[in-house]
Amino acid sequence: AAFGLYFPRKEYSENVYIDQPAGTPLLRIHALRDSHGEAAHFHLCQNLIISRARSHENHWFQIREKTGLLFLSKTLDREDFNMLSIGNWMSLSKVMLYVFLSSHPFQEKECDSATRTTVFLSLINATAPVCSSLTARQLCFTEMDLSFHIKENKPPGTFHQLRLPSVHHLCQNLSVSYKLLAAEGMPFRYNENTTGVSVTQRLDREERERYELIVKCTVREGFREVQVEVPFLVNVLDEDDSPPFLPNGTDTADAVVEFNRKEGTVLATLTVYDADTTPIYPLESSRKKYTGTIITDDPWISETFRVEHIFDEIHFSPNGSQVRGTRHEYKLVLNKSISVTDHRSFQLDVLVNDTEFHGPERSVMLHFNVSILPVSIQFPNMTYQFSVNRNAERFAQIGKICIENCMKFRGVNITYKLLSPNISCYPVSILQGREDKYGSLYVNDSSVLHRPECKEIQYTIQATDKQSRKHTKTLLTIVLEGILLKKEEDCPDSCAVSKHHAECEECGGLGVLTGRCQWRQGSGKGITTNYSTCTPSIKTCPDGTCDVIESKDPAVCPQDCTSGNIIGGHGKGTGNLGIKSGHGICYCFPKKNCYCEKDDIKEQLCDDVCKTVI
Amino acid sequence: AGSPPAPAGQDPQGWRVPVDCVRANELCAGEPGCSSRYRTLRQCLAGRDRNTMLANKECQAALEVLQESPLYHCRCKRGMKKELQCLQIYWSIHLGLTEGEEFYEASPYEPVTSRLSDIFRLASIFSGMDPAANSKSNHCLDAAKACNLNDNCKRLRSGYISTCSRELSASEPCSRRKCHKALRQFFDRVPSEYTYRLLFCSCKDQACAERRRQTIVPSCSYEDKEKPNCLDLRNTCRTDHLCRSRLADFHTNCQASFQSLTSCPGDNYQACLGSYTGLIGFDMTPNYVDASTTSITISPWCSCKGSGNMEEECEKFLRDFTENPCLRNAIQAFGNGTDVNLSP
Repeated sequence: AAFGLYFPRKEYSENVYIDQPAGTPLLRIHALRDSHGEAAHFHLCQNLIISRARSHENHWFQIREKTGLLFLSKTLDREDFNMLSIGNWMSLSKVMLYVFLSSHPFQEKECDSATRTTVFLSLINATAPVCSSLTARQLCFTEMDLSFHIKENKPPGTFHQLRLPSVHHLCQNLSVSYKLLAAEGMPFRYNENTTGVSVTQRLDREERERYELIVKCTVREGFREVQVEVPFLVNVLDEDDSPPFLPNGTDTADAVVEFNRKEGTVLATLTVYDADTTPIYPLESSRKKYTGTIITDDPWISETFRVEHIFDEIHFSPNGSQVRGTRHEYKLVLNKSISVTDHRSFQLDVLVNDTEFHGPERSVMLHFNVSILPVSIQFPNMTYQFSVNRNAERFAQIGKICIENCMKFRGVNITYKLLSPNISCYPVSILQGREDKYGSLYVNDSSVLHRPECKEIQYTIQATDKQSRKHTKTLLTIVLEGILLKKEEDCPDSCAVSKHHAECEECGGLGVLTGRCQWRQGSGKGITTNYSTCTPSIKTCPDGTCDVIESKDPAVCPQDCTSGNIIGGHGKGTGNLGIKSGHGICYCFPKKNCYCEKDDIKEQLCDDVCKTVI
Repeated sequence: AGSPPAPAGQDPQGWRVPVDCVRANELCAGEPGCSSRYRTLRQCLAGRDRNTMLANKECQAALEVLQESPLYHCRCKRGMKKELQCLQIYWSIHLGLTEGEEFYEASPYEPVTSRLSDIFRLASIFSGMDPAANSKSNHCLDAAKACNLNDNCKRLRSGYISTCSRELSASEPCSRRKCHKALRQFFDRVPSEYTYRLLFCSCKDQACAERRRQTIVPSCSYEDKEKPNCLDLRNTCRTDHLCRSRLADFHTNCQASFQSLTSCPGDNYQACLGSYTGLIGFDMTPNYVDASTTSITISPWCSCKGSGNMEEECEKFLRDFTENPCLRNAIQAFGNGTDVNLSP
């Protein structure tokens, strides 16, 4: 096996005092093995790293190559201390050392091995404390948590020594003993003679990934006895030792393409589980480790479909304890929009490969039963008939034209067109928004409505699919009804200008259906989407969207379409267009400002800040 | 190498007085020896790690010369003119030397010497009320009122609120980038006696705590469709000089310490609150996770899900926000109007 020694923790720390004699032991570092027969060799990097990026050659610290004991090789006197502290602006001086690990004796003393751990040494501006001044906590443990990581599937070994070499050296008359609690049945053993803690068997993360034990330390001095307990944690590190598997054995899914034919549509999803963890950081490398490939020779299939892979963490409970695992989802996605005429059925296979797993079952095959159904472009059997009041004004919305299932379509571009009749009565037009799946009929020339000879007008509507040029036709009848009313004088062009119920319903305006504007009475409670306002048609304005007809003229429905100032308490609509919610009555002067205010009481106007504050 | 003579730029106690990096860069550019060494070192650091660099004689020499120049010890100030340029100079040297793989990085900002008590003194002048006096009052509401009475605070606050609550389209509730920028302007340009009162007001009921949580308009500046992994978020933050610096500053000033009474480094609450505030408007924007009045929990918008073998490290990173006694004590001390009494 390759070089696989590793440190069971990332950081170690200890204090160093001024004038501590050469030979003082500081701390003990352990290494764990990847395979039997490996022997650890420890080595120090020659530079001390002082915080804030300075470094200095190391004259003071050495490590025993075989045992990992770090000790002072030279007394650190006050002069040394001052030199190492320059540039440290925190009151506490810390120096950092890297300890390297190798399975054979170090030849060149260089800092280049990848396996290293960091030792933080706090330089304390005082001489070493006397034993009697130390608390039991200080005699037993350092400030660092007793937290370790052990790789799964590796041989057992000792990974920590509880006794602190520095304290043991300093306080030789003191009896400090340790006990590992809650260790029964756990794969850890404490050796009283060495105070070493070892792992007794190979661990399996998929069985259990965290062990929480307690270390009890007893300090005896004459008849006095003090005990301290601290947690002792072991995390088991994961390696790729589990193959992918299918939940409930499901490896097949149906993927039907019908009305939704747009690029990017997810047709079906199949799930693969893995008991191993998959880090989402860095994302791309994890995606590369777990691949999903479409198996096909057909260039059309590889152009038309792609597989998207997402994964997230889930929990398995193998024996009561929870361990983390991964759910991989493979989504079959349309890579391009499919024509309405396409009609095919086939099975599409996706090979999922756990590339880092070394075993025969590293891959699974997923099957998608793909059916691409053609869709027909046709109108429902009936013909359309709409009646239009003779008093309707320009931009009055009459109705909607829609081919069969038109609202379900995605990725299909249908355009609607009116084929002009060969008579002179021609009051209506059709318009379609950019993403709209339907056509909207509206009054384009209201003077035609006034002409008595125009009564019932027949049109032909044609719907065309842009991509396939397939088209269909149906008949549309417009019946003009009602008696022409006399137009009020002094009425504004736009309903939205009216501020009161009465004046609103006296007048007409652009977009009205029956010659009169409609009043919407709001709830009157604070700033609401249901504000009071005057509108050509309550059905279409204000409904929160500036539709294609409203956007033709700013006077039709400024409540949905204004981009100007709104004075008074209000909330703006999507894309900063229109009044989404208002306070009291909202009225507008097209191309100018809108106002929202309470009619009865003159209240102070409320801007953005007052809305948020009060 | 023997101990060098005391270099210029030290005060009588032997501590260096930091020069800002823009100025230090100018000083260095004026000396041919320094500027050429700086260029050499920058080339050495580009794309190489510390150990390879130290093995190179030329790089080593450049480093030794620069260690005695003002560039090596320069710092930046929060909200200074040319802050970004200053930080770029700072990281051009330190990024390679600290290897960028450290859990905690040293702050490129000057240490904060002012105290919370300075803020309380100022606060009582303009508000005329003792923050601890009325137990029924809503401190967060008072803070909003106080801000509205100050033209600068009101203008920048309404600026960020309207930017952060402007809906762009159904799929895009706001422009996060613009919102973050407006928040940074607010917290950089408005004095902390206003901004801290809004951010760290103490609350006895849920309405108050909800207002406190809403201070930074979290729907735009904080929340997102998905919660990224915290290590991933940290990595994103570290690719940006400003975010990286603010995060390092937070770690320097809010890192829980066992050696002080308050759990804060140097018992300096002001420094911790300042560097917390400095993170708002970046990828690592922190906020209150709920409107609880009893417990204060702060977190950036991330989780440790999907950490793999790095879970321990991820949780350690997250705990510096969620379970940080220094940060919690500092926020509570500000809310109660108490600071640590320091012996002179």
